[in-house]
Amino acid sequence: MDKEATASQLSEILEARGVSRRSFMKLCGTLAVMAGLGEAAAPRVAQAVESSVIGAASGNLYPVIWMEGASCTGCTESFAQIDAPDAASVVLELISLNYCETLSAAAGESMELARTQTIEQAAGNYILVYEGAVLKGWEGNAFRIAGEVGYEPLKETAANAAAVVALGSCAVNGGWCAAKQVYDPNGSDARAALPNNGAMGVQQFLTEEGIDVPVINIPGCPPNPEWLCAVLVNVLMLNAIPELTDEGKPAQIFSQTIHDNCERRGHFENGEFVYEFGSEEERKGYCLYAMGCKGPQTFSNCSVIRFNNRRSWCVASGAPCVGCTAASPMHPEQNWVDMHAPFFKRHRTINLFGMHIQPQTIALSIIGVEAVALVVHGFGMKAAGRTKGAPIEYMRDWDAKHPDKSIGAYSEEEVAAYKAAKEAKKGGNK
Amino acid sequence: MAHLAHYNEAHPLPFKITHWINLVAMVVLIFTGFIIHYPFIPAIMGVCRGMHIFCGFVLFINCMARVILAFIVKSAPTNGTRVQVLDYKTWLPQPDNKHQGLAWIKYYLFLRKEMPLSAKLGVPQKISYLAIPLLIIIMFITGVALWIPTSGPFTGLCILVGGVMNMRIIHYFLMFVFIAFFMLHAYLASIEGSALIKVMFFGKETEGMHYDVERHNVIRTGEHE
Repeated sequence: MDKEATASQLSEILEARGVSRRSFMKLCGTLAVMAGLGEAAAPRVAQAVESSVIGAASGNLYPVIWMEGASCTGCTESFAQIDAPDAASVVLELISLNYCETLSAAAGESMELARTQTIEQAAGNYILVYEGAVLKGWEGNAFRIAGEVGYEPLKETAANAAAVVALGSCAVNGGWCAAKQVYDPNGSDARAALPNNGAMGVQQFLTEEGIDVPVINIPGCPPNPEWLCAVLVNVLMLNAIPELTDEGKPAQIFSQTIHDNCERRGHFENGEFVYEFGSEEERKGYCLYAMGCKGPQTFSNCSVIRFNNRRSWCVASGAPCVGCTAASPMHPEQNWVDMHAPFFKRHRTINLFGMHIQPQTIALSIIGVEAVALVVHGFGMKAAGRTKGAPIEYMRDWDAKHPDKSIGAYSEEEVAAYKAAKEAKKGGNK
Repeated sequence: MAHLAHYNEAHPLPFKITHWINLVAMVVLIFTGFIIHYPFIPAIMGVCRGMHIFCGFVLFINCMARVILAFIVKSAPTNGTRVQVLDYKTWLPQPDNKHQGLAWIKYYLFLRKEMPLSAKLGVPQKISYLAIPLLIIIMFITGVALWIPTSGPFTGLCILVGGVMNMRIIHYFLMFVFIAFFMLHAYLASIEGSALIKVMFFGKETEGMHYDVERHNVIRTGEHE
């Protein structure tokens, strides 16, 4: 098994990386919280990392297969762009990344061999990280890999995995690849359930194929590297699937909204909003709600964990949240792009018979038409002399036609008057 | 005097109160809803959010109370009479406005001169007044599905309508249904004189023709044009 990576003592790794024991413990604390164990479990996580991976007599690392679907590799980049060795990258090095199209030095057949070998040797004991959407369009030829229809390797690899991590919103429910209703880059038939490329999430695909394997959905565009770390620690080292929400997302990460813990929340509460970029309000760091921020409806802990070694995140850098973690696994049509574009408006744009139109425009137009109609009608009522009331009919039309089943009882004078009025009207029409 | 008399029996006090509450709650909800959608008066955003949620519950509870009271309180089935029946009977279709739907549409489109014989509520009114409680309930459900503290049990419903954003847009459009109803309602209640407004808001009665609820016809005592 000379292909497997081995690791020396953890302390040596940390030292070699310039990571202090303290920051490692800090990371373990965060991972423990995200894994739903509470910060008090940090030593347990640290021990799990240390003993089960580093200290293991065999020295074997947990194999991970990282496959790319229809992706922009942005999720991989989100990890790879770490500019200095940090604690999280150490944890990532505790796994044996046997297959990764973006990061592996190998390519072509030798790469594919690494994947098939991992499946053979570690069946049921490796984790599959899938990045990007599954494309079923054109019998799967919308996405091909290694000379095969793109989803075939996924089926094979997922079926033997201990768990599948759908990483990024595309892998969760199609994301950008499934976006079609508004800006329509993926096929023109907005009425179809799927765009022409047949983009969908991993969970939906595996369900349709009848492959029964736990799927952990980590949405985001890109997802935060620390979310994956937390899930890997949970699944590989603590041997447990983290507590999931109804949508199969880790509950500790995706149960509260961005808005709940937003650093600009104080300005929201005070009624201090940015209405225009480049304004005085923006300079003061006011709330971005009026700029279309989707934070109040987007479930994620970005505002706590932040990105890029906790340096910053979207709202801190001055952009409204675009709600990239909104992804319902079984519903590609509810991808976050269609749901949230245009990003700087409070509402999504609706595709109405091919017109891209804001709900507000539709509503105000209807109300405007009604207002005009009522004014015109009001003048009509005045012209008809009804503003002090119209005369009441002598008899119901229906009763006149159905005397045997008449609702009302009418006097002879009323019947006569009704008939006279009818005659007069007929005469008038001549 | 071609109008029927407007008596307080048609609108007993409990219903005047629920009507008042409806009016105030809806106006507040619509205004605060616009602010919440886009805070064009930034300073009042916080107050508006609180009031919106409060009035939402008030409107819903008031609506439920109104429906229950309809089975307890009696009201006149038509204008121009002091006879009273259980209110729900005046809310549902009744003999007095059977087969009169087309006549009302013709009347409002100026295709006929005479006002159709009617119950207290005409056919279009009955349809809209039966739809309004339903609308309030749907509005309430979409509202609590959007308000984070109460949204938990409604996650599935949000997915059903195509996501939280769609739920927001439904809530938004339904508000415009309220606005459309509100405009039409106020227009029709006031276009043919102020008698309806007077009796509904101030309990001030207006004399006029009487209606015989047994014969389902107005009583014309020597009145002839």
